[in-house]
Amino acid sequence: MDERHFVVIGNGPGGSQAALTLRRESPESRITVISKERGGFYPPHRIPELISGVISEEDLFVFSPGSFKERNIKLRSGQEVVDLDLRNQQVILEHKEKIPFDGLIIAVGGKPRIPEYLAVFSDLLMTLKTLQNAKDWVAKLSSAQKVLIVGGDLTSLAFSKILLSMQKQVYFLLSEEAFWPIRCTPALFEEVSLALARKGIHVLTPSQIRSLSVLPDKSIELRTDHDTVCADIIGAFFGLVPDIRFTARSGLKIDRGILVDEYLFTGFQGVYAAGDCAQIYHPQIQDYWVSIGHDNAVALGRIAAMNLLGSRVMANVSKESIFEVQDIKVNTSWWTEF
Amino acid sequence: MGGKDLTIEICGMSGDGTIAAGQLLNAALVNAGYSLLAFDSYPAEIRGFGRCVTHSRVGSGKMIALKNKAHVLISLDDQESVSRIPFLDTDAVVLFDNKPMAFLAENQSIAAHVEPEAKLIGVPFGDLSAGATGSRQGRNLVALGAFAGLFGVLPEFFNKAIEKKFSSKGKPVVDSNLACFQVGYQHVLEFYKEDISGDLGEASVHENKDSFLISGNEAIAMGALDANVHFYFGYPITPATPVMEILAEKLPKRGGKVMQMEDEIASIGAVIGSFFAGKRAMTATSGPGFALMTELIAHATVTETPAVIVNAQRGGPGTGLPTKTEQSDLQVAVYGGPGDSARIVWAPTDVQECYEFTLRSFQIAEKYQTPVILLTDFFLHNRVESLEKLSSAAEMISDGNLYPAEEKINAYKRYEITETGISPRALPGSEGFIFSATGLEHTEKGRPDYSSAIHMQMSEKRHRKIRGALSDLPPPVEYAPKGQLDLGIIAWGSTFGAALEAVTQEQEQGKRIGALKITSIFPFHEEVISAFMTKCREVLIPELNFEGQLANLIGHLHGKKVKRLNQVTGTPLTPWDIGEAIHSILKVLD
Amino acid sequence: MKTSGSIIAEKIRKTGKSGELSIRSENLPTWCPGCGYFGIHQGMNQAIQNLKIPHHEIVMVSGIGCAGRYPFFVNTYGFHSAHGRTLPVATGIKMANPKLTVFAVGGDGDGLGIGGGHLPHMARKDINVNYILFDNSIYGLTKGQPSPTSMVGFKTKASPYGNEPAPLNGTLMALAYGASFVARLFAGDAKGIAAVLEQAIQHPGFSFLHIYSSCVTFDKQYKTWDFLNKNVHPTADGYDTSNHKDAINGVLEDDYTTGIIYWKKNA
Repeated sequence: MDERHFVVIGNGPGGSQAALTLRRESPESRITVISKERGGFYPPHRIPELISGVISEEDLFVFSPGSFKERNIKLRSGQEVVDLDLRNQQVILEHKEKIPFDGLIIAVGGKPRIPEYLAVFSDLLMTLKTLQNAKDWVAKLSSAQKVLIVGGDLTSLAFSKILLSMQKQVYFLLSEEAFWPIRCTPALFEEVSLALARKGIHVLTPSQIRSLSVLPDKSIELRTDHDTVCADIIGAFFGLVPDIRFTARSGLKIDRGILVDEYLFTGFQGVYAAGDCAQIYHPQIQDYWVSIGHDNAVALGRIAAMNLLGSRVMANVSKESIFEVQDIKVNTSWWTEF
Repeated sequence: MGGKDLTIEICGMSGDGTIAAGQLLNAALVNAGYSLLAFDSYPAEIRGFGRCVTHSRVGSGKMIALKNKAHVLISLDDQESVSRIPFLDTDAVVLFDNKPMAFLAENQSIAAHVEPEAKLIGVPFGDLSAGATGSRQGRNLVALGAFAGLFGVLPEFFNKAIEKKFSSKGKPVVDSNLACFQVGYQHVLEFYKEDISGDLGEASVHENKDSFLISGNEAIAMGALDANVHFYFGYPITPATPVMEILAEKLPKRGGKVMQMEDEIASIGAVIGSFFAGKRAMTATSGPGFALMTELIAHATVTETPAVIVNAQRGGPGTGLPTKTEQSDLQVAVYGGPGDSARIVWAPTDVQECYEFTLRSFQIAEKYQTPVILLTDFFLHNRVESLEKLSSAAEMISDGNLYPAEEKINAYKRYEITETGISPRALPGSEGFIFSATGLEHTEKGRPDYSSAIHMQMSEKRHRKIRGALSDLPPPVEYAPKGQLDLGIIAWGSTFGAALEAVTQEQEQGKRIGALKITSIFPFHEEVISAFMTKCREVLIPELNFEGQLANLIGHLHGKKVKRLNQVTGTPLTPWDIGEAIHSILKVLD
Repeated sequence: MKTSGSIIAEKIRKTGKSGELSIRSENLPTWCPGCGYFGIHQGMNQAIQNLKIPHHEIVMVSGIGCAGRYPFFVNTYGFHSAHGRTLPVATGIKMANPKLTVFAVGGDGDGLGIGGGHLPHMARKDINVNYILFDNSIYGLTKGQPSPTSMVGFKTKASPYGNEPAPLNGTLMALAYGASFVARLFAGDAKGIAAVLEQAIQHPGFSFLHIYSSCVTFDKQYKTWDFLNKNVHPTADGYDTSNHKDAINGVLEDDYTTGIIYWKKNA
């Protein structure tokens, strides 16, 4: 009689894979997946396709809530973890429910990053990470003509293709975070700008954003040192940051993400982290690297689950595939995903 | 039926203001012009301690049945509300207090139990109430505000209901309730923008602006008042007591009186006495009380004295399930009592008919000089419906008595055998028509007589008289396409609404299926029922009793065995229940 | 043998023929010759004649038993109801038409056995009905079984070893229930019955008349005419009918006083 209770926070590629692995390897234990977002599991990188209408919402979902039920995995959908009490081994939900665990895998992924200097304008910016974001975009795009993308991470490059296919006018204001998580070199910058222009995208001169304001006709005016642009929608694509505010008081070692060893172990008994929210120690480079991307997350989710159950599997990536972006070592499976 | 159709439940512990919230919800939605059918469950214990669930179905078209699943659950007490989860749609909206006063252990929140597809909406009911009024007591109003915000119900409709309900308690109470509602409403607008569905918003507001809410109890009382009933003699019994209580307040204002008797036997005795002397009277009871009355009811069929009795059926047998609904008194209503004493029995199917049938029962009882039983049930008595009007025509309530002609003075035969079987009836106080009524078999003059011929003749007369009531009682109503049917559903009482809804759904799928509404239980319209059954390959009779009492009464009119759906769960049959039975029958037919 | 009852029966036959007692219906009573009920019948007739109440404004409500047959023997409206249920039916009739003079008549079984539950409420509601309890301490119509007022030891086919339960005291019960007019009478005293009845009829509340009688057919040993004749006696001179406590004490001490035992006259 396996009376252990395993809790997975996050129902993205990492979290869902962790849960599936746990269920496969320990058929009798109790497993709860807690997800801030409602619904089943869907691969976030396919969200842009939802906007263009290439796929429908039904197609998007890889795993319905029913599939979790079939595997006897409890899915707490639309419920948020706000605190971790690791000493007493419990997670605390937003609605003040305390859930005890014997093992915990944190796979909360990342959330869109808004740089400091734009924080004050965040109400005017649209991001694209969740299904709800996608729905908001679909709603606004029905009446929008001009879309201005600021930031220019890899998601936005793919997204711009989709916007063009929807006959929208696309403007790009690339920043130093452009092409995140890939390092932005001047050469790359040049190459990509040309490629974008050739596609019909207006690439603005990179420059500091000075102000954003809403005009009487509801469009948004953006001023840089160089230009003034009016757009119906301004999308902020500055890459992702680990969505780990709730760990602040937990005692976990945090840098940008949750620091874990090569086995994804946090140092707290039974507590692991996987996916975009983790920073993983690489024994060969003797530093922490950040994992970005769907396939990586899936692999790490699996590894975290195996290790939680007693295995010793290393989160192994070759040191050559790790690169630096803004002082952060990154490995991304995005290469293969595009 | 394209249009709104939403089922909303509020669940809490007594003291949470669940029932009050349900009443406000119903009133507000009717103010907004929607049609509504609501049915609450109360704790059974006298001190009212236990789970309360309000259940309201609201929409554009007339609501004739309850659904088996709700779309919205408002939880005022998570421990209690967990019990409602099996009765929710998988993707139901669940509103709950996400800031309980203390931390909860795992599974103590309703969030632990809802289906993952459910839309969980956490609103700090208690905190918001405390913020607005200094007390957490207004949680139920905050919850209503949140509901209104989510579903687009304009606050003005709730405000009107709140003012009406609390005005007698003074302005401060009204204001704090309004404030709690407002704060819940604003919270949702601010934090749950994406979840606002506007399902019950202004765009759907309808024509029924003048409709009002009325319960079966109220409808029955109104029907009696509008028929100028003079007396109510009764005894408290669940679920009939409210009829007595409503009349106790209203009858004296009309010059009448409610007298609580020592038991049900005294109640029916006094009703009979009153009618004997010429004044309309009634009583209302339930199974156990009705059983006590059967001797005098049968007696009245022999003395040929009118009476009006409401039997509000509840779970049986014996003391049974006093706070649950059932339809298991049909046979005792028709036949209960010594000998061949079948009398007039009819059964309303909704609140409108509760009013209409009660209204008309007095005239019919007078005309046919016999007890008239109005066979209702717990569900009908305690549910509220939105109605547009209650109308009564003068010809429905006029004196139904047939008085002896002047020529009969001093030659009066009280039990004269006539063509209709109805013998003119003199009232005590009329000179020249003295007679004694007796429960013994008797001659035309009323003298006790046990001879074979007299008994045959008088029995024949009485039964012919009762059968003549067919012309005054509503015939069965058909809801079916022309031509042959694969399946016909015959239902009575509050089950009919569910049957009709199930049948309509199947008809929309192109199935050759029909429904027959029976309201006259005895005498019943044999020819009409036979005609309907003839065109059906199969006949199904769903009812809330174990053996199929209506099926036993009329089943022989069908060429083959009728199919039965018998349920005694204490809860009404839903269109879904009947739909399942329909599907399994149709499957075999194909 | 000439019993008081048979004397009365004969007298009725004679006077009936003379047409003096117009209350009588064409139906001859089905009571046995010598039955005490004839005396009650005579008293009733006299009272109604004296008060000149129109017969069509009188309703006799009866129960089941020999006494239950009463409506057929009188030329008034009648309602022969179910066993023990005279009082509720009488209530409905009186309330529906207060102008009627309403009597409830029944035997001791009808009134104190099956109908016993209705008596207290009739008294406490003080409904203006005149209730006449024909008490012969037996179930006569069903051919002789003990009744709620039968003596201990009363032998019948249903009680071959002697009746066990102690008898109820109907007058005491009516007093205890707070009836506003209580009288105890003897069927052999038709005049006395008539006099009290006149008062009772005019009393604007519930009147209870407990009348002792004898069943000549099925009780030849216990409550016989001789026994009753020997024991009944009127209340003493100067008896105060307005004293409830004394009335109760009196009835507790003596089962056989006759006359108006208690009368609460409203101011």
